[in-house]
Amino acid sequence: MAWEPEIEELRRRREFAEGLGGEDNVKRQHDQGRLTIRERLHSLVDEGSFQEVGKLTGQSTFEDGELRKVVPAPYVMGLAKVDGRPVAIGGEDFTIKGGIAWGSSRRKGGQGGFVEDLARQYRIPLINLIDGSGGSVTSAQRRGYTVFPGVHGFEQSAALLAEVPVISAVLGTAAGGPAGRAILSHWSVMVKDTSHVFAAGPPVVERSLGEKLTKEELGGPQVAVDKAGTIDNMAQSEEDCLAMIKRFLGFMPQNVWEAPPVLPASDPPQRQEEELLSIIPPDRRRPYNMHKLIGLVVDRDSSFEIQPSFGRSVITCLARLGGYPVGIVANNPMVYGGAMDAASARKQSHFIDLCDCFHIPLIYLVDIPGFMVGSKAEEAATLREGMRCVYVGLQATVPMLTVVIRKCYGMAGMATCDKNGLDMQIAWPSAEWGSLPIEGGVAAAYRREIESAADPKQREQEIEAELRAFSSPFLTAEAFQVEDIIDPRETRATLHRFIEAAQGRLKTTLGIKHKAGVRP
Amino acid sequence: MASIDVKSEITGTIWKIEVKAGDKVAEEDVLIIIESMKMEIPVLAPEAGTVAEILVKEEEPIKEGQLLARLHT
Repeated sequence: MAWEPEIEELRRRREFAEGLGGEDNVKRQHDQGRLTIRERLHSLVDEGSFQEVGKLTGQSTFEDGELRKVVPAPYVMGLAKVDGRPVAIGGEDFTIKGGIAWGSSRRKGGQGGFVEDLARQYRIPLINLIDGSGGSVTSAQRRGYTVFPGVHGFEQSAALLAEVPVISAVLGTAAGGPAGRAILSHWSVMVKDTSHVFAAGPPVVERSLGEKLTKEELGGPQVAVDKAGTIDNMAQSEEDCLAMIKRFLGFMPQNVWEAPPVLPASDPPQRQEEELLSIIPPDRRRPYNMHKLIGLVVDRDSSFEIQPSFGRSVITCLARLGGYPVGIVANNPMVYGGAMDAASARKQSHFIDLCDCFHIPLIYLVDIPGFMVGSKAEEAATLREGMRCVYVGLQATVPMLTVVIRKCYGMAGMATCDKNGLDMQIAWPSAEWGSLPIEGGVAAAYRREIESAADPKQREQEIEAELRAFSSPFLTAEAFQVEDIIDPRETRATLHRFIEAAQGRLKTTLGIKHKAGVRP
Repeated sequence: MASIDVKSEITGTIWKIEVKAGDKVAEEDVLIIIESMKMEIPVLAPEAGTVAEILVKEEEPIKEGQLLARLHT
């Protein structure tokens, strides 16, 4: 047979690639409760669908002209299918020198890597399985010079955010470049106990600031996900993480030139839940479970919450309604009474951008008393983050529907409607709205009258009662200032009809969304 | 036995205390209700356990991050 030695060499070289960093290093990875990059790839993608690119990359050593071994480049990537859909996918191989940047003139992955070219040129989603610590000072010794920050091709990472879904999973300790790569995503996830993410790890922090912190204290999910919202979601395990990637991807189109995937309705759109009638307590000071309310309205078990532990006064989730993908923005009365703080404003802004980019209609379930108040809130720039959220909402052109469940007040209330579209507000009978809630507003607006009354407390209550007489939502509906008031049980069916009708608009407004102006 | 600190997520006033030391609670049971933003905001048990101590009184003003109670799990 011709070419036999070469075919044999190819087989051996592929074997070296499959062997990753060698048995000992693979064992160490497993002992830490982590999968290898090849195991991750194979458990995520459809069986037999992985078409590797660049499998032969690495550094070979020869003895007496004979190939002894190849240390593979610490990045594995290629094309694959996830639930039947082509994706570009890749990740660092931590078993080879901790997945540090490889230093070839053509990068396989990371910012500006080939895997990003694949995603961009073919207009398919990009999945980054991140497990690397970025550049190392040792590369300067090898090259003989230091590198200017930002490799050529970095602009690709930014451009992708307007074109195809980019998903990043942090599956180990990510610092520097790989950590930054995780943030340049539409959605990011990390794993409890085994993942950390930071601009720089504990040794650098100790040298710079004298702070002695563990990796967990510096960049575990309690910081990166819950407190900072640097990473969107936390997974309980690597398996859970890979399952979450599939769920997120299930809502996304292949690219912005295609509509998001519609599934056959698994749950009757006309379903009416009696429980919706009693979910709002008659006492308007009492909160209720907005997560439960969302579950009663959208298709059963379809909801996938983004950033569940950050900025919790707003709930943002992807869900389906009669099979159509929708983005839900719902205020959570259990946290800050549903008031928008800096964190929830940032979260809502990102979510609106995400849904607008991929043509997923938005549904607002509104119960918002306004921006969060007080010294902490002012110091956190709630007003600025909040107005940015209003601005982002105004820039978005995807269809939006508003259901006012209870309160809708003030400027934060402006962040819950579609001024560019129908500007339609549907309300439940429990709804109330205005520029600010009556209680606080009366004391401010009628201060003189109240102070000069014989019994100021009583006068304040009288004025409140007089004003409350105007606050019936039915009076606003008479004036067509809200488009309808519905029986709460009709919410699902009503929203479904509008979402269904909006599909034609969605299909004819696909493509990249260019946004002008300066965000406040 | 682990001890869990229950802290307030918001500045406000203690409206009602729903449990006392020694009470057994399930995860997400209401321990204390805070009045803030003109709402009654419940403080829920982060895990199931026994109430070890309550560190606030009704009508007491509290700050964000203030320790309200301890649970033993």
